[in-house]
Amino acid sequence: MLLDLKFGLAALALEVGAWSSASLLAEHSDAALASYLVVHALASVLLSLALLPLIPRRLAQPRLATLALMAGFSYAIPVAGFLGVLAAFPVLARYHGRGQVADFESLQLPEFDQTQRRKSQFRQAGLRSFLGKTEVPVPVRMRAIAALQHVAGRTAAPLLRGVLSDPNDELRLLAYGMLDSLEKRINRAIGVELNALDSAAEGSEQALHSAHHLSDLYWELVYEDLVQGDLRAHAIRESLRYCNLVLQQRSDNAALHLRRGRLLDESGHADEAEQAYVQARALGLPATRVMPYQAQLCFGRRDFAQTRALMQRLDQWSALPRLRPVIDYWNLT
Amino acid sequence: MTHPTAQSADIALVLEGTFPYIRGGVSGWVNQIIHAYPEHRFAIIFLGSRREDYGDFKYPLPANVVHFEEHFLYAKGSSNEEPLARAGDPVGHALVQRLLDALAEGPANAQAMRAFEAVVEQMQPGGTVQLTDFLYSRRAWELICDNYRRHCADPSFVDFFWTVRIMFQPLWVLARVAQQFIDVRAVHCASTGYAGFLGGLLAQTRGVPLILSEHGIYTKERKIDLFKSEWIRDNRNIFQRDPTELSYLRQMWIQFFEWIGRYCYQRADPIIALYEANRQRQVADGAPAERTSSIPNGIRVERFSPLRADRPAGPPPVLCLIGRVVPIKDIKTFIRAMRRVVNQRPDAEGWIAGPVDEDPTYVEECRNLVRSLGLQQNIQFLGMQRVEDLMPQIGLVVLSSISEALPLVLLEGYAAGVPTVATDVGSCRQLVEGLDAEDRALGPSGTVVPIAQPQQLADAALALLGDPVAWHAASRAAVARVERYYTDTLMFDRYRQVYERALTYAPGVA
Repeated sequence: MLLDLKFGLAALALEVGAWSSASLLAEHSDAALASYLVVHALASVLLSLALLPLIPRRLAQPRLATLALMAGFSYAIPVAGFLGVLAAFPVLARYHGRGQVADFESLQLPEFDQTQRRKSQFRQAGLRSFLGKTEVPVPVRMRAIAALQHVAGRTAAPLLRGVLSDPNDELRLLAYGMLDSLEKRINRAIGVELNALDSAAEGSEQALHSAHHLSDLYWELVYEDLVQGDLRAHAIRESLRYCNLVLQQRSDNAALHLRRGRLLDESGHADEAEQAYVQARALGLPATRVMPYQAQLCFGRRDFAQTRALMQRLDQWSALPRLRPVIDYWNLT
Repeated sequence: MTHPTAQSADIALVLEGTFPYIRGGVSGWVNQIIHAYPEHRFAIIFLGSRREDYGDFKYPLPANVVHFEEHFLYAKGSSNEEPLARAGDPVGHALVQRLLDALAEGPANAQAMRAFEAVVEQMQPGGTVQLTDFLYSRRAWELICDNYRRHCADPSFVDFFWTVRIMFQPLWVLARVAQQFIDVRAVHCASTGYAGFLGGLLAQTRGVPLILSEHGIYTKERKIDLFKSEWIRDNRNIFQRDPTELSYLRQMWIQFFEWIGRYCYQRADPIIALYEANRQRQVADGAPAERTSSIPNGIRVERFSPLRADRPAGPPPVLCLIGRVVPIKDIKTFIRAMRRVVNQRPDAEGWIAGPVDEDPTYVEECRNLVRSLGLQQNIQFLGMQRVEDLMPQIGLVVLSSISEALPLVLLEGYAAGVPTVATDVGSCRQLVEGLDAEDRALGPSGTVVPIAQPQQLADAALALLGDPVAWHAASRAAVARVERYYTDTLMFDRYRQVYERALTYAPGVA
């Protein structure tokens, strides 16, 4: 600071000196002009040096250029330039203070953000928190639960299960009744098919058909999210068992190979699952149906390069609108 | 079968769908109560749906039941009389119209209650509101049409029409029963609903005191049936339907039961619940708070205490659900939980001890579930069993019900030193963890889990069975709890006072 002040005073003294020497000498010689120009130049540089620290650091970059600009300005317009540079500082401080730039620039939102999906904000997530709030009047929550009757089981089941431990009896019972009827439908069908399988001759067309249907039904329990924990594991096991049973006889069923792959993946047999997916593809199932699961499997193995490769291949099809955001995400950059 | 009859009795017990045809908590309790007061002469009115829904008596009638009669509300009419077109009684029609107008103001209004009382009085034989008029008269038809146009949100008139008919028809049966019933000094109902309606009508027309003991909450249990029932249709299409509303016909049933519950509450004194939460629920449903109180169930502990000596040293890996195989007990959750229990402990067994004849469809569903979960080796349906024989062989009493009041099986298990894993319904939490500080100090006598969560039920059971120290501590707490708070002598003393008060009540003073 002291240095700046010295520079400033020196600059002022030199400038005054430059003018006064020229006028004192009162001669119109080239030497007088030359001496004026040299002293004026020195004064200009000193002035710039004096003022440079007062400029906000961000604006003072690059240093040499800023210095040159200020010095040049003072030098080119004698007196007025000098005063102008001095006057510029209060003005700069004023304007700069007004349009304060934040420390961070605005950030673009991530391309794939679950919470920012349009329309979806108040769907399941909203309903879940609504149902969970015990301060909401019971009749209102009751109606919200009743509305779940018209929602797909896969979406409704987890929400309804959340209400099962609600302190209010009536809500609990309504949720229970609804879950029960979802699940009863499937278990009743399982009962019917098990009977049919028992009564059919082994290896017969009927037995095969029942086994296929049983695999479907157990898978439905898993898909609709009606079973948890050990029951889920059991349903996966049973579905896989019947799936294998059918595939022993009908090894060309591509869709069942795909199911088998998913079941194996769910039960932690990634390698076998991959084999099954490959087989499903080989048997002619379209890539768009198999590849998402293959990609999921790679992702599960943390093989991200392969995941990306698969996703890039998926990008070539315009099918799968629901998977679009995921595909776009992986194909970004 | 001939039943005892008499000209008069001390106390009329009005029972709907329980004793003596059905086994279970309420029936056992009724049996206990009748046996406990040999000095009183009881008359029983049993109300059922149809004769063919019930088998034989499950309990022999105690000697002090001097009169027994049964009525079936949905029995086919025995009359061969041809329906005749008629105009309908204008006086009765005006009464009903007044009731409907009053009801439009909302359910909790005294004016509607007075109008309802006037109507039900006229429903008795000889009155102005007769069943034949309701079924065949032009005035009734017009009333139904008018109400359909003004209120019904369901487009099917046919469904509305038959719902109205089926809903109200039993009330005339009950009105006749009330008029023709023998002389009694007090009426005791074990539930609201149709039984409560009949009790209320007896109290209204004869001025006798009405005692109401509710075990579960009738209206609530009816709601469970109604929420689950598949026979109530919703005919609204996607444009007519408010997705947040239950079907109109379903709501009609719910309101009907709520209303007849209210009618019973405003006549009954005292109104007895089994535990505090149910008492509050009664008050919320329209029972005057000053007439309500709680009397918990009790059991004869001496019947079970010798069994404690027969028990093996460690907890046997047997989980036993004692109860009727019916949907409200949610047997399926128990079966599902067993899948996990067996995964963790292959030697574990699940026993289901209770009658299987009440709801054959549900039993079939349960058996299918056992099969579909591959548990045929581990789960047994034992049918009706003597609880005393079971207790020494089992490690846990499991209760997976979605609704309960104060389940006696838990207390019986406690008396035999068997801890429990129960769902958090009714008074189960109070029975397991204790009610007040003193009760809680005894320690938990088992574990409470949320309803319909097999995984949690299984984990709780495994934790208790796998830790003999915790199991023995729970067993000790169970014995201490039942001996201190839930003996039958406590219950009998309190009911003795209730009966004495009712029987000394001057008749005729309404």
